[in-house]
Amino acid sequence: MKFLLLLLPPFVAALGAYMVRPYRATVGWFNALLSLVSLGAALVFAGHAARGGEAPVFGPGELLRADGLSALLMVCVAAASTLTLFLSPGVGTETNYTQAQFRRYQVLINLFIFSMLLAVSANNVAIMWVALEATTIFSALLITLARSKSSVEASWKYVLIGSVGIALAFAGTVLGYFDFVALAGRAENALNWPVLLQNAPAMHPEVMKLAFVFLLVGYGTKAGIAPMHTWKPDAYGEAPPALAALMSSALFAVAMYAILRWKVVADAAVKDHYADNLLLALGLLSLAIAAFSVAQSRNYKRMLAYSSVEHTGLICFGLGLGAAGVFAALLHLVNHTAAKSLMFFLAGDIERRYGSPAIKQARGLLKVAPWTGGLFAAGLLALVGLPPFGMFISEFALFRAGFAQHHPWVRGLMAAALLLLLVAFVSFITHLNRMLYGEPPAEVAAGETAGWRLAPMLLGLLALAMLGLTLPAPLETLLQQIVRIVSR
Amino acid sequence: MNGNDALFPQLATLGSSLVLLFGIALLWRRSLGAYVRAFRWQSLALALTFALIGYFGHNHELYVVAVILAVLKVIIIPSYLTRLYERVGGRREAQPYVNIATSLIIAGLLVSLSYAITRPLVAVSKLPTRNGIPLAVGLILIGVFVIISRRKALSQIVGFLVLENGIALLAALGTYGIPLIVELGVFLDVLMGFLVMQILVYQIKDTFESIDVEQLSKLRH
Repeated sequence: MKFLLLLLPPFVAALGAYMVRPYRATVGWFNALLSLVSLGAALVFAGHAARGGEAPVFGPGELLRADGLSALLMVCVAAASTLTLFLSPGVGTETNYTQAQFRRYQVLINLFIFSMLLAVSANNVAIMWVALEATTIFSALLITLARSKSSVEASWKYVLIGSVGIALAFAGTVLGYFDFVALAGRAENALNWPVLLQNAPAMHPEVMKLAFVFLLVGYGTKAGIAPMHTWKPDAYGEAPPALAALMSSALFAVAMYAILRWKVVADAAVKDHYADNLLLALGLLSLAIAAFSVAQSRNYKRMLAYSSVEHTGLICFGLGLGAAGVFAALLHLVNHTAAKSLMFFLAGDIERRYGSPAIKQARGLLKVAPWTGGLFAAGLLALVGLPPFGMFISEFALFRAGFAQHHPWVRGLMAAALLLLLVAFVSFITHLNRMLYGEPPAEVAAGETAGWRLAPMLLGLLALAMLGLTLPAPLETLLQQIVRIVSR
Repeated sequence: MNGNDALFPQLATLGSSLVLLFGIALLWRRSLGAYVRAFRWQSLALALTFALIGYFGHNHELYVVAVILAVLKVIIIPSYLTRLYERVGGRREAQPYVNIATSLIIAGLLVSLSYAITRPLVAVSKLPTRNGIPLAVGLILIGVFVIISRRKALSQIVGFLVLENGIALLAALGTYGIPLIVELGVFLDVLMGFLVMQILVYQIKDTFESIDVEQLSKLRH
């Protein structure tokens, strides 16, 4: 029942938006309010998991399941979706979209949200795959909503790279299942995660290693782990701000979730930190590429995309650093979801005010729009990991977990990562300074674009600051429950 | 049964080889019509291989999958593809990024590579179909290579479809068929993915007035 309350609202919203023609603002408002039902259901699941309850299952063949990890991701996805739907074009924002574009947007974004929620609540790892592939399809059509040359280019690259990646993830899923069939014969529910995990210790390590490489490359493409990140700046830069916000926060989290699910299985089958080492290597590569790309960015939306690559690297690091690292990585994921869902809306507002996404053009932001500029600055400071925001705490925990490792080379890796973070930090601050101060271009009129929409964004920022000052007890117990599932 | 036991591995390998061969055929042709024909034949060979595995592996669900696969990939998608290239023009892959002779050599190397990476898999497996597994992985790699090395958006779509065929072959050979509900989800995704790519090709044609992806190079830094 709770599963229906979680999954039906976005589906109903998409259906409703499809049926009502032409689009009316009430549809957008109704859908935004409806998403609160999903969020409520997700919070109930999270509360249940934090109290240590048995993971509820639903449907034929235990199709859906919500353990602590799923519940955390449900909350992340549902919260980012609710925020996005309230700030969507056709609800609060004035945009020059046509009625048909508003309608298409509402249908596709809700289907996109539906497939993300399905991916994190699916028990069967192949259904999880089907849902993740569906996210590519819906988001690709949304990127070209404005139908400009650059958005079509970005969407084509995104679809190709994303489809190839997700296809490789399917090959990995099949390889994981392959060994299972060889081991136990064809069984009902063999692709269900708990069954897979239970049988993992008997699986052949060599086969599991091969499967995990395919899965890491495949889902890593969706998550934007370097070197499979190349679609990210294009897609985030050209997508409508609402979609970019949702892709960089929720979709990213879902892709990392898929990697984590399989990492647990791989760890049970392969003993020698194989998955950990792969994640550490790719994490360092992501950090390095992100740090130098940020330095070179000339476009603040693409700069935010490279910030995503940076945090992808950090989260990979955390997942490869044992129990304490996983705790830090998941906390970081929550913080990142909160921060990124704000930043692309703010970037979108700045772009509309200045008429260009170039850092060079967006001078004097504090004079033109002090609130938007202030929030943007605060959000960026949160993203680079300054106190009092949550990412300071999660990055601190992450590095502490790394330096506590016994291998000297892991510590060396952490030192390199710290250095790269510093490079990125300096570049971010330089870019931010150029945007905030100086004389605004003469043709840009002063004034806030966002209006009342600043309020929910401010709320998000306050949540981020709260996570930096204190770790709420329910979140802490939930994370501890998850660590117990994930690192045994 | 003994006759069957000897026959099945041979037929499975034969089927997989045919599927791979049609994938390589893509690389020495230039016209998009030939691409579509090669894909159609490949899908037919794949559907027959599915039916074969269903018969010898006693999994009758695979017959259903084979029929859906044939309808989708032998009839529906190729006819859409044909209509697509007739409408947007650009019938020939005139200058691929990698020329034909080099492409064929690379294809050979990719198949050798897939034998190397699947060695542990084939070694531990006792399945009669195991000899086809490197061929399936080889086809996956060739699909990726087609996407990277061809310039026309339509050739890239065919590359993606070939990649999907490679994965379907791998699933059938390695597991005698994944659960039907998953298989249906996969088909739905392939179909929708294809339709989205088709929509995007029309949009590329509208905005760029060509389907040469060389022109898609505005987004940097």
